[in-house]
Amino acid sequence: MLCGANPTEAHPVVGQKILHALKKGTKLIVIDPRKTYLAARADLWLSVRPGGNIPLLCGMLKVIIEEKLYNKDFINQFTEHFEALERYLATEWSVERIERLSGVPWVFIEQAARLYARAEKALILYGLGVTEHRGGTNGVICLANLTLACGHIGRAGTGIMPLRGQNNVQGACDQGTLPYTYPGYQPLTEDTLAKFEEAWGVKLPRQPGLMEEQMYEEALKGNFKGLYIIGYDVAQTQANIAHVWKALSRMELVVVQDIFFPLTGRFAHVVLPAASMLEKEGTVTNGERRIMRVRAAVSPPPEAWPDWKILCELSKRLGYEICYRSPRDIFEEMRFLMPIYAGASYERLDSSEICWPVPEEDHPGTKILYTNGFPRGKASFGIPRHWPPGEEPDKEYPLILITGRRLYHYNCGSMTTHSDGFLEVCPEECIEINPRDALALGIKDGDLVRIISRRGEIEAKAKLSNRVLPGQTFMAFHFKDRLTNILTSEAVDPKTYTPEYKITAVRIQPL
Amino acid sequence: MEITIDGQKFEVKEGITLLEAAKQKGIYIPSLCHLPGRDPSPRPCGLCIVEIEGEPEPVRACETRVRPGLCVSTNTSRLKEIRRQILETLIGRHYGDCKAPCSAACPGGINVQGYIAHIARGEFLAALNLIKEKNPLPLSVGRVCPRFCEPRCRRVLVDQPIAINALKRFVADWALAHGETIPERLPETGKRVAIIGAGPAGLSAAYYLTLYGHQVTIFEAEEEAGGMLRWAIPNFRLPVEILKHEVQSIINLGVKVKYGKRWGRDFNLKTLFEAGFEAAFLAVGSTKERTLDVEGQEEAIPALKFLKMIKKGQSVRVGERVVIIGGGDAAIDTARVCRRLGAEVTLIYPRSRMEMLAHQREIREAEKEGVTLFLMATPLRITRQGSRLEVEVARTILSEPDERGVRRPIPMPGTQRIFKADTVFSAMGQRADTAFRSYGELEARLKTSPGGQIKANPSTQATNIKGVWAGGDFVSGPRTVIQAVAAGRRAAESINLYLCGTKKTSVFVSPRFNFSRGKRLDEVDVSQYQHIPSRPREAMPERDPELRITDCDEVELGYTPEMAIREAKRCLKCGCLGLHKCDFREVLIKEGVSVTNPLKKPRYEIREDHPFINLDLNKCIRCFKCVRVCDYGGIELDIIDLGEGIEEIHLEFTDKCVSCGSCVDVCPTGALTKKAAVVPRARGEGKKINSVCPYCGTGCNIQIIVKSNAILEITADAQRPPNYGSLCVKGRFGFTFYKSKDRLTKPLLREELDEAFREVSWDEALDFVAARIKKIVHQYGPHTFGVLSSSRCTNEENYLAQKLARAIIGTNNVDNCARV
Ligand code: SF4
Ligand code: SF4
Ligand code: SF4
Ligand code: FES
Repeated sequence: MLCGANPTEAHPVVGQKILHALKKGTKLIVIDPRKTYLAARADLWLSVRPGGNIPLLCGMLKVIIEEKLYNKDFINQFTEHFEALERYLATEWSVERIERLSGVPWVFIEQAARLYARAEKALILYGLGVTEHRGGTNGVICLANLTLACGHIGRAGTGIMPLRGQNNVQGACDQGTLPYTYPGYQPLTEDTLAKFEEAWGVKLPRQPGLMEEQMYEEALKGNFKGLYIIGYDVAQTQANIAHVWKALSRMELVVVQDIFFPLTGRFAHVVLPAASMLEKEGTVTNGERRIMRVRAAVSPPPEAWPDWKILCELSKRLGYEICYRSPRDIFEEMRFLMPIYAGASYERLDSSEICWPVPEEDHPGTKILYTNGFPRGKASFGIPRHWPPGEEPDKEYPLILITGRRLYHYNCGSMTTHSDGFLEVCPEECIEINPRDALALGIKDGDLVRIISRRGEIEAKAKLSNRVLPGQTFMAFHFKDRLTNILTSEAVDPKTYTPEYKITAVRIQPL
Repeated sequence: MEITIDGQKFEVKEGITLLEAAKQKGIYIPSLCHLPGRDPSPRPCGLCIVEIEGEPEPVRACETRVRPGLCVSTNTSRLKEIRRQILETLIGRHYGDCKAPCSAACPGGINVQGYIAHIARGEFLAALNLIKEKNPLPLSVGRVCPRFCEPRCRRVLVDQPIAINALKRFVADWALAHGETIPERLPETGKRVAIIGAGPAGLSAAYYLTLYGHQVTIFEAEEEAGGMLRWAIPNFRLPVEILKHEVQSIINLGVKVKYGKRWGRDFNLKTLFEAGFEAAFLAVGSTKERTLDVEGQEEAIPALKFLKMIKKGQSVRVGERVVIIGGGDAAIDTARVCRRLGAEVTLIYPRSRMEMLAHQREIREAEKEGVTLFLMATPLRITRQGSRLEVEVARTILSEPDERGVRRPIPMPGTQRIFKADTVFSAMGQRADTAFRSYGELEARLKTSPGGQIKANPSTQATNIKGVWAGGDFVSGPRTVIQAVAAGRRAAESINLYLCGTKKTSVFVSPRFNFSRGKRLDEVDVSQYQHIPSRPREAMPERDPELRITDCDEVELGYTPEMAIREAKRCLKCGCLGLHKCDFREVLIKEGVSVTNPLKKPRYEIREDHPFINLDLNKCIRCFKCVRVCDYGGIELDIIDLGEGIEEIHLEFTDKCVSCGSCVDVCPTGALTKKAAVVPRARGEGKKINSVCPYCGTGCNIQIIVKSNAILEITADAQRPPNYGSLCVKGRFGFTFYKSKDRLTKPLLREELDEAFREVSWDEALDFVAARIKKIVHQYGPHTFGVLSSSRCTNEENYLAQKLARAIIGTNNVDNCARV
């Protein structure tokens, strides 16, 4: 079951593996408002209304419970609070409400539930179409509930897997670049702090940290003064960027390290030239928790430095000498402090990649998690409350704009727009509109149109496409000359602060 | 189960095919259409046939499963014959150049098309390194090479040949001005090699031997290195400082040079070996000048002697009128030097202009500078009249053919006339000198040819004496610099093998397995070039003839980077860009089927309309691998039988193609090639570096093929997870950003947002950042500062980012871009 993801474009090799599986007879359910490449080839495509993931997935659970399709043994042995979930579904989610909020007819939901629950092995792959909503966290809880209810976890060919957007999202989080966790997901407890204080020889802060969105909020209130940004073009890729721009402009220091001059550079005091992934050594960890070696193939431009070297040089000047000679030295320190990476070494990684947790040098790594229960004891079913989208279409802004990715570009576009051939196939951002809406608006394929949301407006060419349903439109944000994120919503998931990139109410004017 | 292949018994797994079994056991069965895990080809190549005991007809190994007791022969004469027929049909339908004609013509074996391609992409150092793989003297050769390659250049069929040598000179000059990378040297071997003579051959051998890790000492009779480059080529063609720089760069690798040491006087082979040298390379050149064969010849000054005096900086008076007898490089150089000394110069040569040995271009330059040619004329005698000389000259006609059919110029009776001159030069070329035979007992045993030249194996430069090699003009008689350089490199390779105790494994592939669009230019079908717009070559900037004869500075000024890139972009890219993956040619070589009757004319235009892939159907062998590997229906391929063995291929990329490039990587010929992979290379050439795709979170394994600090292409290893050989368009093609000219290359700084950025040093940038961070932390507290890290950086860097925030700045305000 593929939920809120378009791997054919965003994770093409995953998409290709799904095609191979389809050839071998694997059944596929796609939950997506858009008729993506795989949606068109799926056994069941549920064209969920944007923002309707939670109702739809609750509906599936409801079917599974009512028809007793769940895995009773698994639930008894490995989970808790199933009854609470049963009660919640029975009282809160009537068929009528599910159909209305998800936009999917009940019969389809029933079929999907049966297909998923009855499968001997079932795997859920999900993407930003689940998380980039106000109810993102709860959407993920719904998916987790499904896997737990059916016991589709802990065996090969089952489980739940987020498709990671960038090649080291997993690794970045593993290393604790999150305000609420230390490297290796060690919580900010006194034990952890004591361990790191001893290793690093400094007193560590107790005060909880801010997430990115909170930093902007605080900056606008005058409480946040400086930001050091590494390889991340916030001024282009954040949602509702006008807000971000304002926040950045109020800071006393903004530093960015990047390979090309980023849009964020406009708000920066210092821009530092960095080496690219093709020019440096180190490791990354992919979406399967597979730790892999990155190797320098060529040398960086003469004055561009690998990011680690920049950070080392800066640390010296801040009065804390961290003298690593190479990424390997850093990795050794990481292994020492992160039990889940402890058994990986550059020597081992030379011959093969290893999935963490890998606690010992002779441990083979862990390809499948939870083969034998859960670390916290019993896994708990969550109660996924429905969070409606931050904005719904109305008279003034009658269309929904969904954002996503295109095959021929990647995030802020810095690498693809500077590589040969890509601009030839996909030279600019355009807005995909259903031909029916286009007809009503008097827009022809290729017309330049103005797209207006509550926060701003941009222009782009219209591309008529049946991939989007009537009432919906689609754009990516790979280009610096068509800043889609001027439009995007200000709503965020209250827990993770993930912006609701997937739903913005817009109006389109022919030009 | 047990099976027998070619008389050997093997234990194999059940269920596999014979082809797989043979491959696992290291037995070669040719195959061009088999694609593991995919449907069989609709047009099986039929090359994998084998004979099975008890079965009358051969069967295809790719579709025959192993059975217990199977007894298979893979290489009987019947099979060979069937395969030969299949291959000959394929040859008859194949059209292309395995190797570019320029690269094939270069006596130095330089990958000419490759370095031109690098230059066209602005990768000047990569171009230089590719040249230096075969020629460590590009500054000099780039100025004096007679250019064997340029007359072969196919661009002549459009307008003019590519200015290949000027491009070589450009990258060498560019590196001189901008600094170059020092080549990698293998670990010291502790072996010592003596090189006799620091001319081009000796220097070249020294360069490669040093890189192999040996300890090289050059013995040079003169006080400076360079040989003919130093003593015969005038400064206006090759400035002495340029040569000195080139020599120095070789010496800097760790080569010792002993100047003023003369072979036969200061040492001989025996004393060298006694002193601990394990190998010696003789490269003393050919300096004995031939004399004129006329009365009064002693009045004529030998040209090389004169040029050497000039190069030594001695002041020489030649008077107002000079006559030069000869038509080679030394004659022309002498003439041009004399013009610079203010003399009127007449050059006398017994044959026509086209038969002169000097390069035609140099002859034209000499004429521009005011040298008068008196052709079809020969001197009869030279007489001294007081302080002046008189040269009696007669016009020549060609004699009747002699017994070998050669027509010689002979004086025509009654055409005599007198040239008055202050100085007469003779430039009759050099001859072999066998004086070395008296230098010692080993020397006396060196074999020589009837002409008196020392004998050496043309592919290894080894002489008949163990441990002694010889090369350059000393062996070949006077030839070009690049030929001497090549001999030096061959000798170095052979000496290296000798010193390391390894036998030479022949990597030489006979040209009979090379396809060619035409060996001679007039055999090449011109229709294929008709659509190419004419764009004449970039003119070499040179100084005005009237001005330049007033001094001895360099005449040609060299290209600017823009000119070089423009010129390089004219290249037609003749050589096959699928050579490194061509299984077809591999099968021809293994089966010993030579390319005797290939297609003579192209049947298809080369198509470049796909954004990432080029298509040359003239090289398609109809294996259907591309169609079968594609998961998206990206290719439609139809083959229409037109009768009489003639077929027409229709191959189209459909709009379903997602540009993943899988088809290119499986195509067993150069029919499908990557636009970005423009440097032709042999199988296995280039370093393979395993890394991870810089794009999405799938984290595909990639294999980066690198040479000279340039990425040639990216592929994936079929054995490695998670992608097992698959890649998408971004992974396979999205790498050229690394050399974009838009890359950030300098730290940028401004104090306030309304100012413009200044380029600053790293120190200034980091000092500024550190000071501001300290100020913010001091003034408002650490919790007012934050760090955003990247999902596009390594784990190590992310770890440092949070350490920077927590341990150094003192805040948990650290986040990353995982939400985007
Ligand atoms: S496809 Fe193979 S045989 Fe044909 S020209 Fe290229 S290298 Fe030569
Ligand atoms: S590039 Fe990929 S999608 Fe396109 S034709 Fe080749 S294999 Fe098919
Ligand atoms: S294009 Fe290449 S892979 Fe495709 S049929 Fe021709 S030779 Fe085979
Ligand atoms: S028919 Fe067997 S490999 Fe082609």
